Amino acid sequence: MPMGHTATAEAGSGGLTATEHRLANGLRVVLSEDHLTPVAAVCLWYDVGSRHEVKGRTGLAHLFEHLMFQGSKQVHGNGHFELVQGAGGSLNGTTSFERTNYFETMPTHQLELALWLEADRMGSLLAALDDESMENQRDVVKNERRQRYDNVPYGTAFEKLTALAYPEGHPYHHTPIGSMADLDAATLEDARNFFRTYYAPNNAVLSVVGDIDPAQTLAWVEKYFGSIPAHDGKPEPRSGDLPEVIGEQLREVVEEEVPARALMAAYRLPHDGTRECDAADLALTVLGGGESSRLHNRLVRRDRTAVAAGFGLLRLAGAPSLGWLDVKTSGGVEVPQIEAAVDEELARFAEEGPTPEEMERAQAQLEREWLDRLGTVAGRADELCRFAVLFGDPQLALTAVDRVLDITADEVKAVAAAKLRPDNRAVLVYEPLATEQSDHADGDDEEGADQ
Amino acid sequence: MTDAAVSLTSMDFHPQPQPGAARPWAFPAPDRGKLDNGLTVLTSHRPGQQVVAVELFLPAPLDAEPAGLDGVATIMARALSEGTDQHSAEEFAAELERCGATLDAHADHPGVRVSLEVPVSRLPKALGLLAEALIAPAFLETEIERLVRNRLDEIPHETANPGRRAAKQLSKELFPAESRMSRPRQGTEETVAAIDAAAVRAFFDAYVRPATATAVVVGDLTGVDLDKVLAETLGAWTGEPAEPLPMPPITADDTGRVVIVDRPGAVQTQLLIGRIGPDRHDRVWAAQVLGTYCLGGTLTSRLDRVLREEKGYTYGVRAFGQVLRSDAEGNGAAMLAISGSVDTPNTGPALEDLWKVLRTLAAEGLTDAERETAVQNLVGVAPLKYETAASVAGTLADQVEQHLPDDFQAQLYARLAETGTVEATAAVVSAFPVDRLVTVLVGDAAQIAEPVRALGIGEVTVVTG
Repeated sequence: MPMGHTATAEAGSGGLTATEHRLANGLRVVLSEDHLTPVAAVCLWYDVGSRHEVKGRTGLAHLFEHLMFQGSKQVHGNGHFELVQGAGGSLNGTTSFERTNYFETMPTHQLELALWLEADRMGSLLAALDDESMENQRDVVKNERRQRYDNVPYGTAFEKLTALAYPEGHPYHHTPIGSMADLDAATLEDARNFFRTYYAPNNAVLSVVGDIDPAQTLAWVEKYFGSIPAHDGKPEPRSGDLPEVIGEQLREVVEEEVPARALMAAYRLPHDGTRECDAADLALTVLGGGESSRLHNRLVRRDRTAVAAGFGLLRLAGAPSLGWLDVKTSGGVEVPQIEAAVDEELARFAEEGPTPEEMERAQAQLEREWLDRLGTVAGRADELCRFAVLFGDPQLALTAVDRVLDITADEVKAVAAAKLRPDNRAVLVYEPLATEQSDHADGDDEEGADQ
Repeated sequence: MTDAAVSLTSMDFHPQPQPGAARPWAFPAPDRGKLDNGLTVLTSHRPGQQVVAVELFLPAPLDAEPAGLDGVATIMARALSEGTDQHSAEEFAAELERCGATLDAHADHPGVRVSLEVPVSRLPKALGLLAEALIAPAFLETEIERLVRNRLDEIPHETANPGRRAAKQLSKELFPAESRMSRPRQGTEETVAAIDAAAVRAFFDAYVRPATATAVVVGDLTGVDLDKVLAETLGAWTGEPAEPLPMPPITADDTGRVVIVDRPGAVQTQLLIGRIGPDRHDRVWAAQVLGTYCLGGTLTSRLDRVLREEKGYTYGVRAFGQVLRSDAEGNGAAMLAISGSVDTPNTGPALEDLWKVLRTLAAEGLTDAERETAVQNLVGVAPLKYETAASVAGTLADQVEQHLPDDFQAQLYARLAETGTVEATAAVVSAFPVDRLVTVLVGDAAQIAEPVRALGIGEVTVVTG
């Protein structure tokens, strides 16, 4: 049996604790008890994402994630979905640059079923994987691509910006959805090889969080996962390292059928897991994280040149993170006017840094986001896996908010001065195609604004 | 194959485990009270939920908007967070964010909902700001002008979105032109452009008052003297009492037909197929929920089993029922719909299969196994679904908005468990009759119109935009 570590709440962890264990086959297990609600979350992170894909096979990690729901030795067809939902659980899987995760949230008394299901596919997926599933899910994924990216305005912006910000041949140059051509080219043998290479207990972290009995849970984990053989042979992903700054302004102008001009940009930022990344998070929050941010106040409230303006942070551990600027212009406003205002605001911020009030607001916003994230068993399970897989220590999840609150205004100013510069960004400009008809169509039938 | 062969031979397989004993869980019963100013307050203590959710319902319905001013409720809702007699718009936003709070407001057919989320340590401060917005909103001409322009800028973005465009068209098709429900909730370019500060102020004065409003507060309230906090914040809001507004009857023309919103070159067709039907007051609601789940609640439901998992035509198609508006007398209605996107070349075949699924369902009914799985899911997921304060507060506020008792959701779970296969079949077949469905397709008419005409599911018309 694996050995448990002690569970002592660290200061600032909000009373949450987690214990770590390792099976003989290398599967890392993280448990966290919380008996407030009779639910338990199971989360399994495989240390494989789109950065592991090779040329000509983009999208394979995500297509493979779909195949994981098509049955295994003891689970037939859509049995994984049927059994979890029939047990009153919810489930899904997602694929990103750096990992693939699978998760089930179950009523407590159905926890063992989720563990059995995850173990069955980790150990025996290839017993069920066939051409029929492959062809079907290839079509489903191509329709996912059409629905989420190709058939919506600005839908491929992220893909284009990523391709600009990370050079050709870089593991993060392409996004997890992959290209249509590569999705068409993927073979059943590619999928089998992918499983054999990456889906091993020693390449995964399992977390179980919620209304659990840790000893019983660990015994189930050992029973179902313990006999799955470890195996090595996973190639190291290509290095994602890049120079600290891009060193020039990269730029692409897209003429497409979009409803308004847009200015988007990706700034190269420090890797996730560093103080500088947390400082960048605060900088982007002050500049573009909500309705009291500098860019919103300047572009939407005062200049009235934009319908929406904001910054987001894509945290990445294996490559520089991305600060993503997104401004949609108002009426007939031209992009250079917006760009000049953005540059002015960023330069001023780099010069003066955040005010004490801005620091307080940004830290309060990020603190609430963390409380939200850790407020559900599923969110907590995912964060424990994230810190275990990317940084080797799940306990870091429980103190992440303290690290954000520990950042000083000087650090925020420093990262802004070093990174939020025109020569450290890739810019994407959207110009609408001229249309013959001026269409005075009216509004929508649903809540909120777009995006 | 070596590695896989090793795995298969050396892994120990165990039979599927059986569930343990379920721990009881019940949808929370809120405490209901009234402040001196007439504001109804529902509270629910949820241990561990450090982010408190406050939902405020203001019965300022869209049908009360003056003629030609569709969208004034939306602008008013947004203007609530754009400054007060004590804070400018920028200061107000800054003060809220200093609390780590988010404040959203939106207008729908029954009225305006304001949603506040804030860490419990800053609840009193955030409730103070919310109260300030209700007691003394600034509604400055300059801010209203800005909100109007911003709203006008949003409209083309929504029109470009296939899902939004489909929803707009379906409402226009279903409801008579004189019904507010036929027109976009947030107004059109013409009506929004006509809104000014005086119109916003007049709408606010007419319909926003504590005596008709309800506040729902949910979260870990340990150590919070909520009565005192409420008395000092929302309790200071004053206003005259008012009679509840009568709800106009809801009618819809669900003659089977197809409307294609032409999008030349679109790689997918957005489909939205709908009509109206019973709301939560109707005895059939539980059976309708159950049957609709079996039809299109998840990827193992009937629609996706064929359209996604067998044919690969789509990333997913869902069937759902969404309440439009209700009154206490049971005259309300829900939108019953099927929605999803299918690739352009397979639009005809996908619709043909979709209709086949509906016909088979009507002819053969649901199976006991389907019904059993659906009940297990719908009832079983309740503790997961209601883990956060925001989800509990949202449902409690929906109940208030729809004139339902506070224990409606709790009772619904009991009713779902009692609902049999025959009832669920009858409900879903009557919710989605094959000849009484209005189909909106946002896609490339040149490619999809002919194959769709050939299906014989109703007259096909093509519109632009």
